[in-house]
Amino acid sequence: MYNILVVDDDKEIVGAIEIYLKKEGYNILKAYNGEEALDIVASNEIHLIILDIMMPKKDGLETLEEIRKTKTIPVILLSAKSEDYDKIGGLNSGADDYITKPFNPLELIARVNSVLRRYVSFGSLKKEENGNVYKTGGLVVNDDTKKVTVDGKEVKLTATEFNILKFLLANKGKVYSIPQIYENVWNEEGFGAENIIAVHIRHIREKIEINPKEPRYLKVIWGVGYKIEDIK
Amino acid sequence: MENLRTSKALKFISYILFPIFVLLIGLSIFHLSFLDEYGNTGATNFIDTEMFANEYVYYITDNIANANDQKNNDTRMFIQLEDVDGNEIYYLDRDYMYSYYNGINEYIDFIIIDKETNAIYTNMRTSDYNSEIENMKNSTKYWNYDDGNIETNIEYINNDNIKYNSTFQYAVLGEDGESTYVVNKEITGYTIYSRYNPDKTGGLTNFKIVEGIYEFCLEHQNLPVYILPISVIFTFAIAIYLCWAIGHEKGKDEITLGYIDKIPYEILFLAWAILLTIFATGAIECLNIANYITIIFAFVLYFICYIICAITTVSTIKRLKAKKFIKSFLIYKIGKWCFDKLKILFDTLDEKTTENKRLFWYYLLFIIVSVMLACLFYTGIAIILLIGFWIWSYYKIKKYILDQEKIKKALKDIYEGKNDVRLNEDELKGALREMAVYVNDIASGFSNAIQESLKSERLKTELITNVSHDIKTPLTSIINYVDLLKKENIQDEKVKEYIDILDKKSQRLKKLTEDLVEASKVSSGNVKLNFESIDIKELFNQTIGEFKDRFEQKDLKIEVQMPENDIKIKADSRYLYRIIENLFSNITKYALEGSRVYIDVTENNKNKGNTNSNNSYNYININIKNISKDKLNISSDELMQRFVRGDKSRYTEGSGLGLSIAKSLTELQGGKFDIIIDGDLFKVEIDWPK
Repeated sequence: MYNILVVDDDKEIVGAIEIYLKKEGYNILKAYNGEEALDIVASNEIHLIILDIMMPKKDGLETLEEIRKTKTIPVILLSAKSEDYDKIGGLNSGADDYITKPFNPLELIARVNSVLRRYVSFGSLKKEENGNVYKTGGLVVNDDTKKVTVDGKEVKLTATEFNILKFLLANKGKVYSIPQIYENVWNEEGFGAENIIAVHIRHIREKIEINPKEPRYLKVIWGVGYKIEDIK
Repeated sequence: MENLRTSKALKFISYILFPIFVLLIGLSIFHLSFLDEYGNTGATNFIDTEMFANEYVYYITDNIANANDQKNNDTRMFIQLEDVDGNEIYYLDRDYMYSYYNGINEYIDFIIIDKETNAIYTNMRTSDYNSEIENMKNSTKYWNYDDGNIETNIEYINNDNIKYNSTFQYAVLGEDGESTYVVNKEITGYTIYSRYNPDKTGGLTNFKIVEGIYEFCLEHQNLPVYILPISVIFTFAIAIYLCWAIGHEKGKDEITLGYIDKIPYEILFLAWAILLTIFATGAIECLNIANYITIIFAFVLYFICYIICAITTVSTIKRLKAKKFIKSFLIYKIGKWCFDKLKILFDTLDEKTTENKRLFWYYLLFIIVSVMLACLFYTGIAIILLIGFWIWSYYKIKKYILDQEKIKKALKDIYEGKNDVRLNEDELKGALREMAVYVNDIASGFSNAIQESLKSERLKTELITNVSHDIKTPLTSIINYVDLLKKENIQDEKVKEYIDILDKKSQRLKKLTEDLVEASKVSSGNVKLNFESIDIKELFNQTIGEFKDRFEQKDLKIEVQMPENDIKIKADSRYLYRIIENLFSNITKYALEGSRVYIDVTENNKNKGNTNSNNSYNYININIKNISKDKLNISSDELMQRFVRGDKSRYTEGSGLGLSIAKSLTELQGGKFDIIIDGDLFKVEIDWPK
């Protein structure tokens, strides 16, 4: 049983999150401003914090800063601020993820699960680093077993999708255009491949990403190509 | 009254009648003077008058002189004919005579015999001159002369009345017994026989004319008594009328001036004088050799003279009436120009602007000092002083111009949109300093205005962003609890339907707030762009891949047409994708199911006309066409404006900002975005610089 602290000045939002996460089997603690949150963190064992940014008394970023002084508890920021620089600022302050309001409840649950899995099973991942294993962040592709896991959870891919993902992951951080991917995966001239690859990649993204529109691993560089983000 | 004044017909008649009445006055006066001279002599026939006698003797003596000249080989007036009775015969050359006399006085026959040689000079043709000489005395008028002895029946030129002196002069006594007609001809050594020959007066010769006039004048002695006063009255009346009416035209209050009236008066006057001299001289010459052709000719010439005079007079009257007579003198214009220029110079002293005054005094000072120093030239130091003064003056002028240049530069900077323009007022003097103050004022006002507008634009975006944050928080609760409600086990179908509506609308509200923020940012240019090289082909393959399922859902077929070669453009890849995404998203929402969607990418050249040279394309053109499922009863402009969409589409999801955002994003990146609606054809054209 993991303890999740939900912090938001809007009581109804906290209530809704509580309902969703309780269904997933988590224990929920609630706070309505930053100071309350700090008190709870100090006196309880917390495994994850969902933190609003705009709050009275102490805002989310200040609270996060305060927490990071002593603890490494994973923190998901939850905010109505949806600008790029808000997200970047939040993540740079030490947050593990960033969810914008209004959120999709399923996405929230998926992200909570993902962050927790990463946090809790961090040590066990190392054991699997044998044989032909490619990984970035929580994404692991095992070429021997042909298994793909995201934050420890297995994902079913077709053979073509697996090959594309394996190729991109093996060359993580590099950008490949559609013809290049085609040539490397199929070993033939990528002429006429056109949007077949693009469709496959969208399918892969839908399977491995929590929010395919804001992918974490498989990124699209429009008009250039695709790449797997190199995450330590 | 006004009609009389402006009537063209009346004026025309006046112009015609005026010379006729003037002519009548002239003729009447001539008639009166003629009567005064000849009216009391009692002679009713022309041949009885002194005039006739005078012409007669003049003609004879002239031919004696001609004969004398012929004898001395001076001229060849006579043609030598065959000798008669051993005497040489010289006949008056008619052609020659015509060129001189035009056939006048041919009514006189003469035979002149040279006493030395017995040669005969004559204008008669006969085989027997002796009998002709005998016949002379039988004529109505004859005049014979031999060595100072005159034998005649013409009273005015008989022995008593003609004064002869030995130095070959003779004279005809005037009627009063004193005045004489002196003829400088020697007539010694010649015997003369002559007569008046009425047979030769046929046709309209000079004689006939003169005779006619003579007889007419005598016969109608009372005529001028009536005609003269009438003519004078009419002439004056017409003259007064014309003076009053000239220059007035229908519908115009002022005097109308024509081309001629604009010619400087001196030139007009000179032209009048020259033309009149030419034509009048011609007319007088014509009258001198009066026969009836030359009289007609003279009449025409006199008429031309009249026209010339009329034009000049009319123009003069017009100028006087328009009060422009003096002004129309060239000399006046020249004088006025000079005067004006001088006036401007001296007016500067009175003007209120000090710069003009200063310029004048400075310039005056410059001249005075220069002249004074120049006068002292012989002392060597004056040269140095003068040169020094000139250099100093040049320095002063140069400094002024440089200062002016500073202000010009500042103005140019403002014009070019720089907002930190500032002139140092202390460096400048006088009017330039004033100008600098104004320029600084304008510049600061300008940069304030720019800052204000930037600030207000930023505030607007900020306001929209903040409001959207405030909306998002309650919206989160709504979406979440609606979601929770959906998961409750509700049996009532109506409640389920209501929840469904709530779900859709809350989702739409979410999209709307997001798009609103984006639209406001994009339209105010509040976006950071990262330009990179983009492969258009790759982009479309990727995007079509993203949308393939949705296109297939609606049974839309994508027809892509692209050039063979790679096409790279400079763009921010994320925002370029956003444009295409918005367009594709629209297509999936609004295109007719089962229709085709055409995507054409071409390279072309916007700036240069020729599209032939391969490597010089500087634009790519993206052309996306689809068939709308609903009637598009809206203009393309309205479609691109925020919150406006086609009629029916209001009921589907989306914010209506998609096209507006796409347009703004295209324009932000230097492209051109156009929508063309042709019936159900919905066409988007994007021109993108390479």
